[in-house]
Amino acid sequence: MALPPGGTLAAAQRHSPGANMIPMVSFTGMLAIDARDVVKTFRSGWPRRRETPALQGVSLAVPRGAIFGLLGPNGAGKTTFLSILATLLVPDGGSVRVLGHDVVREAGALRRRLNMASGRPSFLWSLRVGEILAFYGRLYGLAGAPLRRRVDELIELCELGPHRRVLYSELSTGLKQRVALAKSLVNDPELLFLDEPTLGLDPDISVRMRRHIAELRRDRAMTIVLTTHYMREAEELCDEVAFIKAGRILARGTSGELKRRIRLGEVIALRLDPPTAAWLAEAPGVLRCVAADGWVECTVDEAEKRLPELLRALHVEGVVVRNVQVREPDLEDVFVELAR
Amino acid sequence: MNWRAELLGVEAVLVRNALMASRNVFFFFELLFWPIVGVLSIGLMTRFLRLSPEQASFVLVGTIALSVVNVCQLEVAYAVLLDVWSKSMKHQFLAPIGIRHLTLGSWVVGMVRGTAIFALLALLGWWAFGFDVLRPGWLALGAFLLGCFLNAWVVGVAVCALITLFGNRAEAFAWASVNLVLVLAGIYYPVSVLPEPVATVARAIPLTYFLDAYRASFGFASEFAAPVATGLALSALYAALAHWAFLAAVGRARRTGLLLKMSE
Ligand SMILES: Nc1ncnc2c1ncn2[C@@H]1O[C@H](COP(=O)(O)OP(=O)(O)OP(=O)(O)O)[C@@H](O)[C@H]1O
Ligand SMILES: [Mg+2]
Repeated sequence: MALPPGGTLAAAQRHSPGANMIPMVSFTGMLAIDARDVVKTFRSGWPRRRETPALQGVSLAVPRGAIFGLLGPNGAGKTTFLSILATLLVPDGGSVRVLGHDVVREAGALRRRLNMASGRPSFLWSLRVGEILAFYGRLYGLAGAPLRRRVDELIELCELGPHRRVLYSELSTGLKQRVALAKSLVNDPELLFLDEPTLGLDPDISVRMRRHIAELRRDRAMTIVLTTHYMREAEELCDEVAFIKAGRILARGTSGELKRRIRLGEVIALRLDPPTAAWLAEAPGVLRCVAADGWVECTVDEAEKRLPELLRALHVEGVVVRNVQVREPDLEDVFVELAR
Repeated sequence: MNWRAELLGVEAVLVRNALMASRNVFFFFELLFWPIVGVLSIGLMTRFLRLSPEQASFVLVGTIALSVVNVCQLEVAYAVLLDVWSKSMKHQFLAPIGIRHLTLGSWVVGMVRGTAIFALLALLGWWAFGFDVLRPGWLALGAFLLGCFLNAWVVGVAVCALITLFGNRAEAFAWASVNLVLVLAGIYYPVSVLPEPVATVARAIPLTYFLDAYRASFGFASEFAAPVATGLALSALYAALAHWAFLAAVGRARRTGLLLKMSE
């Protein structure tokens, strides 16, 4: 259904003939995740109780088929939120519907349809890779030939062939992560949660892991929600990201939208002779100026307009410009700005 | 109820526990060493004390029962302990299975191990001390073993519940408390010799009744009217309670985040 410009869904329903026949589920049915005002506080310690408010009213809707990134500093509540979505943790307040199921009341039905892997995986040490996958396959209702086929398929998909008979305790970090990914695909989930899937992987393996993740969505139409501390990963993989800090969502959008919204400006980096020019910070359109490693980095509102102005001013002042680079802000800058 | 799914869940856990058991270095000690040491030392003691063959049988039944229950309860507790040790708790609670699959699957493996250890100890008792486990007949023997396994199930599930409630630091406490209960079950003595408050506790333990019924065939008058029926009824009651406690503990662990803590 096409929305009229600036229109809401409710408005669209009013405009379309027979609108009252369109049930709301047609919209909510398109959402993989619909979380509203989720609150979670951990209480630990005895006899003196310590309270850690991990989520303080998180609302988030994720459409089906998306790769969605959750970003935020350590302890922001990313893992807590994923765990609630995956039914491993019960929220204190708010409502959470995942694939149309309530995560508390309909957890059983939901568990069949989702799965999760984390970047710090752990499985029974003295089982072999093939045995681990078969164990979880059975837990998800596979048996006999279909189970064997499934395990073979996953071993091939995650490039675990040569390690099939290796004990889990003898695997390297990268291989353990691949076992975790393979396990999380054992029920061919519609929704997959990945908590820091490339944590501690070398660049080559990270690239392959990211390719796997992108393929999962492309080939199997899976909805994927991941957390990561690698901004490049988020930019490369995710259709949209949300920033969580101290249990609250601060911003959400595509990385382009966020960069524009946060108004980080662009950076003009200059190598000057003499190496500094303090007055640059006062020039029109310059938001801030820092000197680092022989470069002067000026953040400006609009590089295209300000670069000629700056060059002219430097020329007038008799400062020689030896090198110039213009850089767009990346997601990392957005992160640093939001986490501040 | 979907029986195929039920059986698959149980089978999954069964296969896992069996594989783990076959790779456990302590398996040998659990299964052979301590039980054999137990039967030999107790058997020799009965000789030294010049007990009658009936009295010796009475004590040996207790030793064997203790070993069988221990091996089986340990296996049931492995339903969560294996995952607690390897910090992989969350995966099985993310899967669409219930705690019944976990405990039943482990229980089946526990019964196989329990039966193996029983057969071994029976042979040893017969060879070394002329003790015949079959004297009461197959039916009585079957009821006795069933009683041991039911008790093991209850104890094992109770340990699972305690660990899921308090985390792995509760492990030692869990073992101590449940073993204390077992020792009260008149393992080496009839309930009648216990002082009153303790005897009441012993009468609340199902194993007491199964021991009593089995020993009746060795010439010891039964202290209870219908020991096997009472034992079964009590076992059913405790099994339900233990299952509920484990279920409640898992629910609580999902609320407190302990489930996640035991997975990292
Ligand atoms: N099981 C738990 N018990 C008690 N407190 C917890 C538990 N899990 C998380 N917390 C606390 O809740 C807060 C949010 O933690 P969470 O693990 O969700 O953060 P995160 O965003 O995933 O961080 P990181 O990037 O370091 O993984 C933290 O203060 C953490 O200490
Ligand atoms: Mg985390």
